[in-house]
Amino acid sequence: MAILNETARLEPRSTATAAARREAAPYMNPYLAGVGLGLVLLAAFVVMGRGLGASGAFSSLVAWLVSAVAPAHAQANEFYADYLGSGVGHPLKDWLVFEVLGVLVGGFLSGLLAGRVQRGVEKGPRISTRGRLTLAFTGGALMGIGAKLARGCTSGQALSGGAVLSAGSWAFMLMVFAGGYATAWFLRRQWQ
Amino acid sequence: MNISLASWSLPSKLALVALGLGALALFGDPYGGGAVTIQPRELAAMVQKEVDHVSVQELSDWVLQGRTDYRLIDLRDATAYAAYHIPTAENLLITELPGDSLARNEKIVLYSEGGIHSAQAWFLLQAEGYKGATILRGGLDEWNDRILHRAPAASTPTAGTLPPTPGATVAAPPAVKPPPPAAAPAAAPKKKKKEGC
Amino acid sequence: MSAPFFKFGAFGDEASLVVAFAIGIGFGFFLERAGFGSARKLTDQFYLKDLAVLKVMFTAIVTAMLGIFYLSWMGFMDLSLVYFGSTYLVPQIVGGLILGVGFVVGGYCPGTSVVALATGKLDALVFLAGVTVGIFGFGEAWPAIAGFVNSTDLGPLTLPQAFGLRYGLVVFLVVVAALGAFKGAEAVERRMARREGAV
Repeated sequence: MAILNETARLEPRSTATAAARREAAPYMNPYLAGVGLGLVLLAAFVVMGRGLGASGAFSSLVAWLVSAVAPAHAQANEFYADYLGSGVGHPLKDWLVFEVLGVLVGGFLSGLLAGRVQRGVEKGPRISTRGRLTLAFTGGALMGIGAKLARGCTSGQALSGGAVLSAGSWAFMLMVFAGGYATAWFLRRQWQ
Repeated sequence: MNISLASWSLPSKLALVALGLGALALFGDPYGGGAVTIQPRELAAMVQKEVDHVSVQELSDWVLQGRTDYRLIDLRDATAYAAYHIPTAENLLITELPGDSLARNEKIVLYSEGGIHSAQAWFLLQAEGYKGATILRGGLDEWNDRILHRAPAASTPTAGTLPPTPGATVAAPPAVKPPPPAAAPAAAPKKKKKEGC
Repeated sequence: MSAPFFKFGAFGDEASLVVAFAIGIGFGFFLERAGFGSARKLTDQFYLKDLAVLKVMFTAIVTAMLGIFYLSWMGFMDLSLVYFGSTYLVPQIVGGLILGVGFVVGGYCPGTSVVALATGKLDALVFLAGVTVGIFGFGEAWPAIAGFVNSTDLGPLTLPQAFGLRYGLVVFLVVVAALGAFKGAEAVERRMARREGAV
């Protein structure tokens, strides 16, 4: 939240779109950014023997929240219990949770250096802010369900599993693109 | 035709590098590496300091506590293994050792009848990079003498965790046998949590 | 020194969290550099205007794949110690489809939404709230769906194993496929730009 408060001064909320974007530095060449991302991924494999992730951190968060409200209910559920671990350490004292905190900091640093930290809502010109936020929530919920069903999202499955040639990860990756292209036409008003 | 590499765009150069590395990969095997160099001095020091040993008392404590953070390997043949083995032990012959069944990051306790066979297996594993390999000191002979047929008077300081009568201990093994490491409830959640993202 | 360092006991669990934070910073930095903190940039992939998602993702996969392959070949890294999850084919296909739909509806994936939040996007915050609720729903439904989620368990299966090909050959084929996809992506972008210009 501190980030939002700080950036609120830069630009009023509603105009943080086209005008602000023109001042921001251009994005990195995608192939160069890909090599950078690949080297970070490689570092994770070399140092830790595992890949990157994102949705797992939110699973730990959910499991912790549920166990805080209803401990018995959380322990009885195999899915939550997995993320709560053996009960020795705090559920949020987890590798992916700390990695995602790093993502937050890294993303902010890069955005700051490029002048891209702007408070606002990303959307196409033909949809209301309210409509966009409703769809963002719906999409997020779908993403949460899909990521848990597939045991990982674009970071954990596609990127990390793809690099070690995991068969399931490649099947998953093709399906993500398939699902996206199949839906794009119906949602063109939101983005284009 | 003018093909000057300097005039190529960055993506094209990257593509060329990727293609070259990809083509060279055709001749490689990622699992074939792992050529571990044996460090005689390091091994000698480990033997000297006896860090490569686990005593029978330690092991019996671990078994009774149901610890699952190590692998206990019985190196004898299948008949001897079937007749009796230390609870939680797995049967692997020395010829099967540097295979897929063991991981290099695991703590491995080796035992055979006496000590020679397991010492040889220990060296073999160390040479293959299994740094966690250790030997049960005295082997099964000592296990029989000190743990199974131990007179009550000869109790060791760790005997407190053991049933007082030797007869009970002999009958106990099936009862104290914890589930194999893979199915242990404490270990399973940790593994599952690591699932990607 | 042998890799993976953590698996050989170079440092403990506490230190691994510091490593996680540092690696996360690198991850977030390059995601933002690539423009993945912007939902419109991300979803342009599905309207064929800007195929940066494909380019960045496949370049990253190829880079890491080649790195892992060569470090293992040289004997520096023990590939058998590198963790990756088991293949559950049908749940992963269904999950991938749902995730793809969620991508276009919500505009982000979990990792990129964290970057978007870091650069001030309110929709990313709402998206992440949705992710949390979705996972909660999944958790509550767990007793009913556990059978399906755990079905078609093929174990930790790699493409070389699945197709009976040599690892090196699969690496080569992935590189060739990625370069082909990049060439195709550039052509599609040019064509879309021309069509936009004509309108």
